[in-house]
Amino acid sequence: MATLLPVGTKKGLFLLRSDDDRKAWELEGPLLPGWPVYHAIVDPRDGVLYAATNSFIYGATVHRSSDLGQNWERAEELGLPEESGLKLNATWHVEPGTGSELWLGGDPGVLFRSDDGGVTWNVNRGLLEHPTRENWQPGAGGMCCHSIQVVDGTIYIAISAAGAFRSEDGGDSWTPINKDVAADFHPEKYPEVGQCVHKLLAHPARPDRLWQQNHCGVYRSDDRGDNWERLDGNGLPSDFGFALALDPGDPDVAYVIPEVSGEQHFTPDGRLGVYRTGDGGASWELTSNGLPGRAWAAVLREGFAYDEGGLYFGTQSGSVWSAPHGGGEWIEAAGNLPPILSVEAARV
Amino acid sequence: MAVVLLPGALAAEAGGQKRFEVEATTVGEALRQLSVANLLFDEVGELRRLVNVFVDGVDVRGGRLLDEPLTGQSEVRIVGAIAGG
Repeated sequence: MATLLPVGTKKGLFLLRSDDDRKAWELEGPLLPGWPVYHAIVDPRDGVLYAATNSFIYGATVHRSSDLGQNWERAEELGLPEESGLKLNATWHVEPGTGSELWLGGDPGVLFRSDDGGVTWNVNRGLLEHPTRENWQPGAGGMCCHSIQVVDGTIYIAISAAGAFRSEDGGDSWTPINKDVAADFHPEKYPEVGQCVHKLLAHPARPDRLWQQNHCGVYRSDDRGDNWERLDGNGLPSDFGFALALDPGDPDVAYVIPEVSGEQHFTPDGRLGVYRTGDGGASWELTSNGLPGRAWAAVLREGFAYDEGGLYFGTQSGSVWSAPHGGGEWIEAAGNLPPILSVEAARV
Repeated sequence: MAVVLLPGALAAEAGGQKRFEVEATTVGEALRQLSVANLLFDEVGELRRLVNVFVDGVDVRGGRLLDEPLTGQSEVRIVGAIAGG
């Protein structure tokens, strides 16, 4: 078995492979050259590689490959119903479900389900026709459904800037879960919906625990999103950022890569740093061993991944960094790639 | 048979084939036969805004576009808008 990182970039998809020491990485690509790849995964159920691909000329789609990128097929049916008055602007995130289904998040705040391995995609009506939709507003990246977590029979999604939602009936209905999550840019600071979630993750071993990096703070919930506790300060240099990762072996651990502010999308203090909490967010410490000390970097919302073996993130300046959990040394797995849009981790 | 010519990015999506011969009386009829049709048209069947079409060297966006008639000797060339970084 090897660790495989599908790295989505503005100019195509790259694959990074390493054995278990994760110190030497082989680079393959670009695959799908010319296609901006917003997100790519290897489905652990069958090894199929999926890429959320978006061309400013030819539109938004999903490519899939059963041989890790040697041959590709494209979604045959993917779009929004004409009566909705909406058109699909972008595909953002592919997530395996708990059965054989696949989920796909997109812009404008939409979710699709595929039951045929990504050939055709059906829009989720519960979200498309959500009664609060008129109160959703697109952020700078569009109104993207970028986070999908399927755990313990529950589906969580997050949309910028509509907030986080939970479904306990397989996606038929969606409950906003944004209590006590700030929307400082909104006329009402704590609205029901409209929060700008940047990334939401559920802990795989403790599924009632959710984390989110928001436009306005870092949050943790221990009750499936019913209540949120704000966690920034206590060692974090900024409440703003996009990237978020967890440790599957310890639900009290989380990692963020702060940026200066919503106006200055680069890392603070002129360095690239990952901040780790080991106590559920009560305190944070900088882990930067091996990372460049002079840097004004940015890591996008899909640019941070984790598995049992470690952490992996990619920068908009084209570097992929890898480290073991717990604050070990960061290694540059690849550099000089096109701007990196996403990083995921798989075992192949 | 009219001929349809694809740019490189679309040809890659069509298995590497750049040139297609099609039986069609209009541009729309020709384009909808292609395996890359869902990259040319959006979900409501409109030609994507940045897909340009030339028939025998003439940009048909300024004319009848999808209704532009074709003959057996027509050459339809698809050209993506030039932009980006």
